[in-house]
Amino acid sequence: MKPTLRVVIFVGALLPVLSSFGGARHFTFLYEANTSAPGSLELENWVTWRHAVGPGRFNQVDFRHELEYGVTDKFQASIYLADWFYRSDPEHSGSTYSDTAIELIYNFTNPVVDPIGLSIYGELRAGDRLIELESKLISQKNFGPLILAYNATLESVWEGSDLAEREGEFSQALGASYEISPRVSAGMELLHEFVFPEWRDTAKIQNFFVGPNVSYRHRNWFVTITALAQATDTHGEPDFQLRTIFGIGL
Amino acid sequence: MNKLSMLVVLGGLLVSCESINYVPPVTSQMTTARKGQHFDLATLREGRTLFVHRCIECHTLPVLWRYSTEDWPGIVDSMSYRASLKPAEREAIVAYILAVRFAEH
Repeated sequence: MKPTLRVVIFVGALLPVLSSFGGARHFTFLYEANTSAPGSLELENWVTWRHAVGPGRFNQVDFRHELEYGVTDKFQASIYLADWFYRSDPEHSGSTYSDTAIELIYNFTNPVVDPIGLSIYGELRAGDRLIELESKLISQKNFGPLILAYNATLESVWEGSDLAEREGEFSQALGASYEISPRVSAGMELLHEFVFPEWRDTAKIQNFFVGPNVSYRHRNWFVTITALAQATDTHGEPDFQLRTIFGIGL
Repeated sequence: MNKLSMLVVLGGLLVSCESINYVPPVTSQMTTARKGQHFDLATLREGRTLFVHRCIECHTLPVLWRYSTEDWPGIVDSMSYRASLKPAEREAIVAYILAVRFAEH
């Protein structure tokens, strides 16, 4: 039996005994400290459009299909069933499967009753020509209807035909989201990346993106959209990014 | 306006918003806050824990005085499926909210 079919049968068998919704996102480039309710299962579909102009112009649309499961009150696990993308640039265009991944998040403190809400995040991605390890510190504080979140992320990437290309990245992201009504939130996200090709800082690559977000939730689904523009002028990085996450409780 | 003034204004706004995070710890007074109605201490503690963990998965916590005591059970009930709340957990959240309201008035 094919592995994909096994996954489909396993998920299908789980659905009847699971109930409800993992929770709604207020941000798309940041994670929030709270984890999903135990026993909840959610399907999230991510679509990110990246657009660059100039000599290195390209259009790329990234897709992610994620299943998120609340294991305990403070621990959640996710599977990225498939990360794939469509890319078009002056030389070629086409779709490519990128990787499959697992993601684990453990919550330590609560963003409402504790001075700050903290969680740690670990992710392992593996694909045909890619292995990536990512760890993240997630912090959040709720001030009434205002949510402030900060993520610090460290990534190690091995890619290429024999995984010979190495790259490190440290990124930090800051977000604010104000709840206009229980269903609607709007805010801002800032993303600051430091890229270290071959784990060296000689290239001095820094990217800074900033832009608004909006989130709508109703019954067992939500949709959150963020538009980011690059405030730096890094060649090969997108000048504009638009990310949409649509989540539905199963 | 200089940077210090802006920081002071921002800090003031955050402090005022923080006061909206009103989820007081459970006290023994809350168990008998209303004549003829008794709340179990353990239930109230569980209700507070669930309230601050489960409800923020979708939205920020509402001010407890925004809705009437008659409305709260229906409001929590309408979202209990989304929050994966079992009937006893749903009752615990409602008990905590009502106990806080009765204790404050």
